[in-house]
Amino acid sequence: MSCPHLDYRDGDHAATERAYCTVLEEFAEPMRADICNDRFELSHAAHCEFYREAEGLDAGEADP
Amino acid sequence: MTGYEEYLSGEPVVITVALTGGVHGKEANPNLPETPAEVAAAAADAEAAGASVAHLHARQPNGERSFSAERFQELTEAVRETTDLVIQHSTGGTGAPLEARRQPLRTDPAPEMASLDMGPLNRYRHLTSENPRAMVDALYDEMDDRGIKPELEAFNDGHVNEIHGLLERRDLAPPYHTTLVFGGGTLTPARPRNLLNAVRNLPDGATFNTLGFGPHQLPFATLGTILGGHVRVGLEDNVYSERGELAESNAQLVERVAGVARTLGREPATPDEARDLLAL
Repeated sequence: MSCPHLDYRDGDHAATERAYCTVLEEFAEPMRADICNDRFELSHAAHCEFYREAEGLDAGEADP
Repeated sequence: MTGYEEYLSGEPVVITVALTGGVHGKEANPNLPETPAEVAAAAADAEAAGASVAHLHARQPNGERSFSAERFQELTEAVRETTDLVIQHSTGGTGAPLEARRQPLRTDPAPEMASLDMGPLNRYRHLTSENPRAMVDALYDEMDDRGIKPELEAFNDGHVNEIHGLLERRDLAPPYHTTLVFGGGTLTPARPRNLLNAVRNLPDGATFNTLGFGPHQLPFATLGTILGGHVRVGLEDNVYSERGELAESNAQLVERVAGVARTLGREPATPDEARDLLAL
């Protein structure tokens, strides 16, 4: 399941739609896009600090 | 062993150009090449500027990472059509399983070289690129089977120990071409004394690249050149030409270190000279 804060948008910097983080309000770098999309062994819920902060998962707790 | 004697003798400098990478893309610098056609054109310009090795990562059409042999095939064919550069495929891949990381080794023909990350690297807040020894050995074994020379990437001094360990576990052919990486986080702190120590700790029979991330790219390339080493530059490792100013191209970064090398009395190696120096 992809991150609920992931969107694909056009940008001035590229000819194709790119991963956009609606938490940061900026385009995500390609390696982060693999986290956003839960590809390979990656998980937005486990590995993305912006998702975790937006969802209140990192408040006062140790890393997973 | 590469060293100051090689500097004094004027041995040519092998300049590796890391053209595209797999971490950031055009959102970091719109001049960064992503498609096979863009990478091939950038490679040709970099070769003209003095590069002799092309370090390659494949991408999907939207710039995101790809590990597939098919994407690497398309990419490597495009670069081979436009250049005579030594082809070096990346096997790096944070969060990607071994089977995905083997794929860049399976093009036809095989790449002449492939990168081999020697240990863990922290990324972001919750993620580590693990690179356990079993994975290192498995990737090395497939390189050995296919006649591919590994480029041993040491992100920190502990990884120099890992190079010694790999040499104990496997029968690598010299020279052992290493890349010493400097920067923040898990990388060796970018201080000149740390380069001196790292070079001193390399095994006999090693050659080395210096790779400084971001603002450390030019000074560490210069230091490496003086110490008789080789250099890696490119938009994968540094998107700026100077503070606050995005680089125009990979060739711009290559041209700059080629000029430094010439000023210091070493010519940039041609691709064939690089093949001789690295025993490809």
